[in-house]
Amino acid sequence: MYDVIIIGGGPAGCAATVYTARKKLKTLLITESFGGQSIVSDDVQNWIGEKHISGFDLAKKMEDHVRNFPTDVDIKAPELAVGIKTLNCQPDKQNCIFEVISDKGNKYEGKTIILTAGARRRKLGIPGEKEFDGKGVAYCSTCDAPLFAEKKVAVVGGGNAGLEAVQDLFPYAEEIYLLEYSEKLKGDPITQEEIKKNPKLKEIIFNTETVRVNGDKFVTGLIYKNRLSGEEKELKVEGVFIEIGSVPNSEMAKYLVELDKWGQVKIDSKYATTSYPGIFAAGDVTDDPFKQNNISMGDGVKAALSAYAYLLQNK
Amino acid sequence: MAKVKIYTTTTCVYCKMAKEFFKKNNVEYEELDVAKDANARDEMIQKSGQMGVPVIDIDGKVIIGFDEPELKKVLNLP
Repeated sequence: MYDVIIIGGGPAGCAATVYTARKKLKTLLITESFGGQSIVSDDVQNWIGEKHISGFDLAKKMEDHVRNFPTDVDIKAPELAVGIKTLNCQPDKQNCIFEVISDKGNKYEGKTIILTAGARRRKLGIPGEKEFDGKGVAYCSTCDAPLFAEKKVAVVGGGNAGLEAVQDLFPYAEEIYLLEYSEKLKGDPITQEEIKKNPKLKEIIFNTETVRVNGDKFVTGLIYKNRLSGEEKELKVEGVFIEIGSVPNSEMAKYLVELDKWGQVKIDSKYATTSYPGIFAAGDVTDDPFKQNNISMGDGVKAALSAYAYLLQNK
Repeated sequence: MAKVKIYTTTTCVYCKMAKEFFKKNNVEYEELDVAKDANARDEMIQKSGQMGVPVIDIDGKVIIGFDEPELKKVLNLP
């Protein structure tokens, strides 16, 4: 029986682990990987105390730190939590014992849960996307941009991630088309200015809704619709990079905690508590409006201290 | 010992993770940077039927992505 089970090894989960370990709570950290979503970032420039650090190095530092408490912290990695249920509770959901079920079929029992499972990439959900995943459809521009040397590519999504994908593609792609759902780009104005200067960015197409990815063995085109006129057009591209935000990994807890309409776990941001006593949450899985490493860490710390207070009260 | 080839790009973090995994487990490997080497790029796409890195070839068995459990299985690692 653990005092606390922390689900997810990104910034929120790692921060929570360091704090529960230092409170001498018997902790289980279960995670698929360390470092969270920014692991694929080539250069993180807003991690306080580091002017430049790669997402990979940042992830390693986090992993090293949580592995520094072998007497108090058990780490199961790579292992994915797929479900949480309550085993027995006193009336009004008090003093529950929670059971976490993993993809390996393992079951772990804990007195509290800190849910820091983060978020994953949102997909377009259009025909051809899945079929051509890896065959022209790509979700990691830092990884795969060089594979599109001398090719025409489309980037879907005009937020920061989309603009950065355009930048990643500049050294390689022949022509780039940027598709945005609304009537203006949402990414940082500085980056917008920068990408507009590069002649490889042929066009920014606004008010678009993607319809279908065409292809044979590999992608040959992207069909999109003008949302105002309804007119459909095809972009003859061999690559489609999709950067349209993220979806919270909250499915495992959806029967226990309250979610908002986007599936984010609702928290009281003062204490990182959820609607269920004994379950705390932090980071990108929650409805906190700012999805940032630094914020996830702070919220993870709140969750850890709140779990500690809960355990003291419910002894 | 198994013959291991890994197709990478320099900015790909999953490639770095795979290489670290090989080093940690004393697995020798040959690295081909598909951003620089167009032949390797074509070879990789042909072998794996897709364009994502890393692609790992272990004695002809092709693994797409950094799949640690699968690598352990194929390399007979504990």
